[in-house]
Amino acid sequence: MKYPSEHQQIVNRLLKGKFIIYPDPLFNIIEKSEDYPDFFKYSFGYELNVEAEFAYLSSEHTTEKGTRDFALFLAILCRELDYSNENFREKVEFGEFDINETHNLLKQSSKWEILQKTSVEDFEGFIKTWSNRNLLKSDKGRFKFTKAVKIFFNYAVNLAEEKLQADKIQ
Amino acid sequence: MKNIRLSGKNILNFLQNHYDFVKSVFHHSKPEFIVASDVFDKFIADYNEQNEAHISVSKLIQVKFCRQLPTGDYKINIHYTNFLQFVFDDFTLDLPDTLKNRYQTIFQLFIDLKAESNELKINALIQNIISVIEKFLYDIHRQTQRLLSDTEALKANVEEYTNLTKRLEKAVFWIDEYIEPLNRILEKEHPQSFYYELTRIQAYASEKRYTAKHAQQRIYEKLYASAVNARNELDQNLQYLTRELKPLLDRIKQDSIILTGFYHLVEDIDNINKYGALPNLIKKSRDNVMFKGFQDNANYFIDQFDYKTAEAYYQETEDTMHETLPDSLYFKEQLIKSNQITDFYEWCFKILSEHTDNIKLHDFFKVTNLLLEEDIIAEYNLNERKTVELQDAIVEIPIISVYEVSK
Repeated sequence: MKYPSEHQQIVNRLLKGKFIIYPDPLFNIIEKSEDYPDFFKYSFGYELNVEAEFAYLSSEHTTEKGTRDFALFLAILCRELDYSNENFREKVEFGEFDINETHNLLKQSSKWEILQKTSVEDFEGFIKTWSNRNLLKSDKGRFKFTKAVKIFFNYAVNLAEEKLQADKIQ
Repeated sequence: MKNIRLSGKNILNFLQNHYDFVKSVFHHSKPEFIVASDVFDKFIADYNEQNEAHISVSKLIQVKFCRQLPTGDYKINIHYTNFLQFVFDDFTLDLPDTLKNRYQTIFQLFIDLKAESNELKINALIQNIISVIEKFLYDIHRQTQRLLSDTEALKANVEEYTNLTKRLEKAVFWIDEYIEPLNRILEKEHPQSFYYELTRIQAYASEKRYTAKHAQQRIYEKLYASAVNARNELDQNLQYLTRELKPLLDRIKQDSIILTGFYHLVEDIDNINKYGALPNLIKKSRDNVMFKGFQDNANYFIDQFDYKTAEAYYQETEDTMHETLPDSLYFKEQLIKSNQITDFYEWCFKILSEHTDNIKLHDFFKVTNLLLEEDIIAEYNLNERKTVELQDAIVEIPIISVYEVSK
């Protein structure tokens, strides 16, 4: 394998659980490289996922609870946005959120008791954690979702479809 | 005096005077526009209670607003319902098959027109085509408007459609039953589509408006204009359908699926992995780039050093007498006494054996150090070596002969 000069940067970032997102030049390098999937597979036992606009590592053996917490946070946020007559997908994909307002919106939800038991309870810490992993971008009390949020939308679609199939079989 | 013949004014007066009644019956009875007799009676009774100008079933039948079916139910007159749909801007959806039948009429009329040579019949056919095109355009227009307003309602009235499955079902139904078939009817490139037929009518009329007899040129001109106008209107409707309605419904469909998925996640959080796997993001690892298997190996290695001092249990042992050996001077005397020795190390072993059964390396070397004495001369035979077994070691030694220097 021929290592690009940014190799160490790529490996360090991905191993920190970060998403590398287009138009970051590192994304182009990963996208073009045919060797990286095998490199991560054989060196670390991780799967390199390269989507249209972002790349990240995954592992079947992971027991990362933070991911579950993020999925719950997004699920309840979308539900509240939908109930407020907002186009939740547009808002999540392109909009900007005020950290305090969002925290209050979630706290008013009847589902807050679920989030309270997760890392979402320390909301600022939660936003910081996921900003570090490039799933969010936060600055001066506001945050945005990055393109990587799509994996959670895809997850929801799969979940709905599998549930539908299971219900049909029953 | 009561008019025997029903005039337009009677009908318009009726609509104006009893607008509220007509409106409530219209909304209640759509889309079939049939009302059960008891419900119909109640509508009349309620209306009469609240209004000075009373109505009755007989009056309603007189103005041809409705007729009673053999089942006893009342059916609203189709001419009223068509007009009222326009008045209330509230159109019912026809199944695309109804539309399909209508445009197939145009196909047939056009075939007949091309084959017809009788001028009067040609005129009648062209009038007919123009009229059916108009009706068809009107149908398409009201379908599109209806779908647009319903879709907007579906998108906005979250409260009415809190049941996500219902929202999803509705979006999927409209796409499959209306949008797609409408798209097919209006598909520009498809030879069986209405749009394609219009293009042919337009081309035919365009040619005929110059080549036909003068008297007919004007009517072909009308047909041409009708076709051009129809294509423009269809373009606009197609735009609504393909650029607005379809993406909007697709979006509602997709959004509803996402919300449904999230709903199941939140509602069944304890069985999170039962359906659909969560993204397996990795945990944040340290900066050190290493294979995770290394970690186990490294932990195993480090564990060796991370031990508690073993608790020691001492077994009481019998005291053994410490054997004391003579000092080196004694051995030197013995060596000198022995005169010349051909195998020095063998002698050392033997002399030590006389004093102890447990010859240790330490004691053995104490005796062999005699070689270093100045008055002892040693001759080495480097080719020959032998092994001596001591209590705590096995040594391989050369054969050495020694003698005193004075000798």
